[in-house]
Amino acid sequence: MNYLDLTIKDIHSALANKEVKVSDLLKEALSRAKENKDNAFETILEIEALKKAYELDKLEVPKDNYLFGIPFVAKDNFSTKDIETTGSSNILNGYIPLFNATVINKLYEKNAILIGKTTLDELAMGGTGTSGHKGTTFNPYDKTHTHLIGGSSSGSAVSVSDAITPFALGSDTGDSVRKPASNAGLVGFKPTWGRISRFGLFPFAPSLDHVAYFTRSSFDAAILLEALAGRDEHDSTSSPKEVEKYTDFIDHIKGKKFAVIKEIKESITDEVLNKKFAELVEKIKNKGGIVNEVSIDINLLNAIFPAYFVISCAEATSNNANLDGIKFGPNYGGKTYQEVMFNARTKGFSNLIKRRFVIGSYALMKENQEELFLRAQKARRLIVNAFNDILDKYDFIINLASPSVAPKIGAISDKLSNTYLIADNYLAYANFGGQPSITLPLGFKENLPFGVNVTSKIFTEKKLLSVTSELEDLIGLKNLSIRTYKKEEK
Amino acid sequence: MKKVTKDVLIDASNRLLFEMDDREYDTLLEEFDIISKQMELMGEIKGVDEAKPMTFPYEVITTYLREDTPKDTLSKEDALKNAKNVKDGQIKLPKVVG
Repeated sequence: MNYLDLTIKDIHSALANKEVKVSDLLKEALSRAKENKDNAFETILEIEALKKAYELDKLEVPKDNYLFGIPFVAKDNFSTKDIETTGSSNILNGYIPLFNATVINKLYEKNAILIGKTTLDELAMGGTGTSGHKGTTFNPYDKTHTHLIGGSSSGSAVSVSDAITPFALGSDTGDSVRKPASNAGLVGFKPTWGRISRFGLFPFAPSLDHVAYFTRSSFDAAILLEALAGRDEHDSTSSPKEVEKYTDFIDHIKGKKFAVIKEIKESITDEVLNKKFAELVEKIKNKGGIVNEVSIDINLLNAIFPAYFVISCAEATSNNANLDGIKFGPNYGGKTYQEVMFNARTKGFSNLIKRRFVIGSYALMKENQEELFLRAQKARRLIVNAFNDILDKYDFIINLASPSVAPKIGAISDKLSNTYLIADNYLAYANFGGQPSITLPLGFKENLPFGVNVTSKIFTEKKLLSVTSELEDLIGLKNLSIRTYKKEEK
Repeated sequence: MKKVTKDVLIDASNRLLFEMDDREYDTLLEEFDIISKQMELMGEIKGVDEAKPMTFPYEVITTYLREDTPKDTLSKEDALKNAKNVKDGQIKLPKVVG
């Protein structure tokens, strides 16, 4: 086993005990990044990363800094000073930010080392990992490249499941970290909306956008939260609440109340996944947890996806109005300034993105606003109220994160079915309400992973991560990657 | 939801300052058909029309004013770095008045 196959916590111990040097770790990470065939990278930062690694080799590893010398990647919608950042969209080809996102600065301050920027669905608007300007990003568990990894944080998911890096930054507006985490056998975590500054993250739908990340353990997720959380004067929506010592795991499964949403459970029909979930429920009960099935009005659940779609498209239309080919991005000329913008946006955006903008713009038109945008915002409130009512009585909501293992590329869903409307898209409720929400690997079907999602009340990350760490022990898939996974023989 | 027509969508995309291939409008019409059915489902929610629209995940109260001092300003050179058409220290655009 290579040190890079370990969690952040264990790599840190190896570095602190001088079993491995930062530069050795980085050479291996860069070599794995270059060998990877899943279309995960927009940029690999070989020279810069190695230079930093050699500098860190000369320093003593601080015992209290888990992130010292740890390689990481960031989704290409985080601004990185002097490093091209495109959001996997042609409209930003060649765009070089003049500043770092706050989370990038915070990781640099910890001496974590950025080794690359990763592919995403164009401007983070999508869930398949197929719509970025570099084409489809593939699932490392499937060497035939027939299955999705999902998105929109596609390349970041690849990086952690292929153990190129032990963590990766992503963003989650509907489920863009928690869903690919299920497809890639990873821990995918988004804390409370406002817990981490979003300054420097390309906005998609700010009322729903979260900084999120992939790791291979809940403890590593807690390490990162300690490093990234906190008020940032550059982001007025960042919370002034005190940053806790999230790595002090003091909560336990015993005595905690878990709600399984009955209608979500019933919308998932895959027997292998359901069996594994039922086994986990039994294990939680055996550990002294209380698990009850709880109902939510099916009409509210059916409304999650359309409300998400309308709100996110509407917010995106306005947020991306600054992409005009004038201040940055390719300029294709034109006889008037409107024509310059028209040409840049026509050539720069893919058809999928344009359609989403039109949908968002239509929903915002005066004559449609009441029926579409405002109705979606009203439904959002009722959805949030319903889930928060449950979280007033229960510590956690727990359900399978997805109705299946990673779908095949090009698979078509019935967009009016319960599987699509509920099972495939329900995770967005935690973006509506901003609750901390985490996906953990739960099992495998035909050598493809799937996950379970656990969500708790806003600003209860410490309790959530303590308990999901115990769940990892029950499940037995901690620190899962394609390098540690032993294939099941058929 | 009222019937969506191709003309309305073409007008919307032009106002968004881009154009799309003709068949994209057909795809859009199909998408609107699905959205319309999904939004009808939303109408089934009891009390939806009486609810207050939610614009943020929870109540955010910001009660401070920052000091009115300039900070994090861009130099002219930096501000022009990403623009493709620059002349005499300014971004160059086609003439507005003939």
